[in-house]
Amino acid sequence: MFLALKEMRRAKVRFALLMGAIGLLVFLVLFQQSLQNGLITGFVGGIRNQSAPVVVYSVDGRRNLQGGVLLPELEAQVRAVDGVGRAGRLGLSTFTVEAGGKQADASVVGYDAEGLGSPANLVKGRLPSAVGEAVASEVDASDGFDVGDVVTLMPGGYTITVVGLAADVQVNVTPTLFATFDTYEAAVRSRFGNADAVLLPNALAIEPVAGVTPAQLVERINAISDEVDALTRSDAATKAPGVSQVQTSFRMIFVLYGLVVPFVIGLFFLIVTLQKTGALTLLRAIGASTSKLVIALLIQVLVVVAAGLAVGVLLYAPVSQAKLGGIRLRFETTAVIVWTVVVIVAGLVSSIFSATRVRHIDPVDAVGGGGSR
Amino acid sequence: MKLALREMWRRPARFVTATIILSLIALLLMFLGGLLDGLVRNSTGAVRAQRGDVIVFSSDSKDSFLRSTIDAELRSRIEAVPGVDRTGGIGIIQLGARVPGKGVRDLADTALFGYEVAPRGVPDTVPPLGQAYADSTLKASDVDVGMTILLGPRRTPITIIGFVDDTNYLGQSSLWASPATWRQVVSENRSVEALADGTFQSLLVAGDGSLSASKLSSAIDAATSGTTRTLSIDAAANAIPGVKEQTGTFNQILGVTVVIALAVVGMFFALLTVERTGLYGVLKALGAGNARLFGGVMAQAVLVALMASAIAAVLGFIADMAIPPGTVPFELGVARVILSTVLMAFAAVIGCVFSLKRVLRVDPASAIGAGV
Repeated sequence: MFLALKEMRRAKVRFALLMGAIGLLVFLVLFQQSLQNGLITGFVGGIRNQSAPVVVYSVDGRRNLQGGVLLPELEAQVRAVDGVGRAGRLGLSTFTVEAGGKQADASVVGYDAEGLGSPANLVKGRLPSAVGEAVASEVDASDGFDVGDVVTLMPGGYTITVVGLAADVQVNVTPTLFATFDTYEAAVRSRFGNADAVLLPNALAIEPVAGVTPAQLVERINAISDEVDALTRSDAATKAPGVSQVQTSFRMIFVLYGLVVPFVIGLFFLIVTLQKTGALTLLRAIGASTSKLVIALLIQVLVVVAAGLAVGVLLYAPVSQAKLGGIRLRFETTAVIVWTVVVIVAGLVSSIFSATRVRHIDPVDAVGGGGSR
Repeated sequence: MKLALREMWRRPARFVTATIILSLIALLLMFLGGLLDGLVRNSTGAVRAQRGDVIVFSSDSKDSFLRSTIDAELRSRIEAVPGVDRTGGIGIIQLGARVPGKGVRDLADTALFGYEVAPRGVPDTVPPLGQAYADSTLKASDVDVGMTILLGPRRTPITIIGFVDDTNYLGQSSLWASPATWRQVVSENRSVEALADGTFQSLLVAGDGSLSASKLSSAIDAATSGTTRTLSIDAAANAIPGVKEQTGTFNQILGVTVVIALAVVGMFFALLTVERTGLYGVLKALGAGNARLFGGVMAQAVLVALMASAIAAVLGFIADMAIPPGTVPFELGVARVILSTVLMAFAAVIGCVFSLKRVLRVDPASAIGAGV
């Protein structure tokens, strides 16, 4: 151990370079993990954290809340399904708004009643109780969406007062306002001004009767027509367009990074071992056992990997608190633990090649100058 | 340099590990870059295909096609601006399309454009009511020329009369139809969003050549007293939701990945140089200069980086072919491969600088009696 650490002290730059490289790799992986989760929460957090256990889209909507409308005849059929307790309309539209003195994009979600699409994670204030009130996504509070702030929708000039904040309820990676359906309708009409046109809901929010599970109700609703697409709350979030694409893309990136880490560590220690073969031969000749040399190698690997992980996590910690565009990043503790284990195991596995080299060193080579080779 | 290349030729095993690691890093660069290119291309094709100089939005739309409205009165003010040659209204609606022969729940994502000035690849004559040119990505959904697809919950029929490439909008396959068709589809499927006759969402403007795009934009916005916001075609493409954010984030990740490549090259060649210190002493004693020795190290590093890039490019193109359409928006082009290769070569050159000090420090006198 003494030998291993002393060598590291004497070749600081060499080992620091490797720690830095591992640190950057760990940082990148963790940052992208946060980015992936932040992106998904930004896209579908408002679906995942709304209160209705079942969401019913029209097939045309392609599981995108803003993408389709439920025609009146279809809505009536769904409401009549055995097992439907309460049902309410859901609507989503995006607007240009003026909030906090600046223009911004914002989404307005309209729902009929508490428990049928209202935001579930209220962290401040209250749910809207009157037309012109809304709960905003907490992450956007500092951008003019805090409790008491008035948001003006353009071009109609319709105003919505924020009366509450809810966590992780963004949709479309924009500030999101959850309001009653009446507020939503007034907002949409203020933009288009088609007073005669009927505003159809984008989806229905359903609560099953007691004794019927959301999964059972989904099955019953989907059986009534090929036009409806009923999903449980969690499926509505995970099967939303783009979510699986984001996950697959990031998974491939993580696999590639996961492959680079052991190669970098393995290459480094293999070269270091090759370089000091002479010295190791002499150590073997004067009585140092193979296990002692291998342990010294493993200690170096562990120290370098641990330091690299520390560098990576230290770089990641402040970045993980940032807001990237409209995306709120988070410190992903699970990802840190998983990648710590992965990198340590990868480091130890990659040192097998160097350990094999050390084991094959023959002390007899030291006699006759082999040791200085 | 010849000596360095000969070493690589005679002892390739020495460079295999570095080549493998750099291949993985180059593959990461190309994969990340390919993802970015795929995402951006899939979102912006319809805008990039516009044959004009600038696109005019209403100023309260935040450059969103879907939230902008330009009415006939505003349009006539824009057309009166000196330097404006011709204008064309643009309207968009995004809907699911039912394709004959496909499952009842298997819809294709489409964005129907009503246009007056044909985009690149679309004939100048606007199609008759109910007909449209389709982006070729719809072929993956078994759409063919002459087929009638049904749009939206009201099943508005649209007959496909031809295909056009690289015109997708926000990841959806575009359909290019007359303004009348667009108005019909909107009023049937989203009546609340229907716009009055003569009103479009945005306006494509082609200048007469007397003004640059930026001056034309300024002139239009001044003439409308700020009720419009006019962007160049590239700026309008970048203003599509998510494009700027995706580009910025991916470029930062690519930057850090290049730094990792630089560290790996630096580490590898610094160690290789340490190994050869004795040999360099002998070569210097025989008259080889620092420039020659360092040039050899750099040539090896660049060659390893180029080989790694070539391997990564092959793997990248295989991945591009193997990934099923619609799963991952990956698109690896020659430009991306060249850019990644240049970045890898750059990382190799900079990484080698770590070895320069060691090469300079080698004393030819050390060759005398050294156990080389």
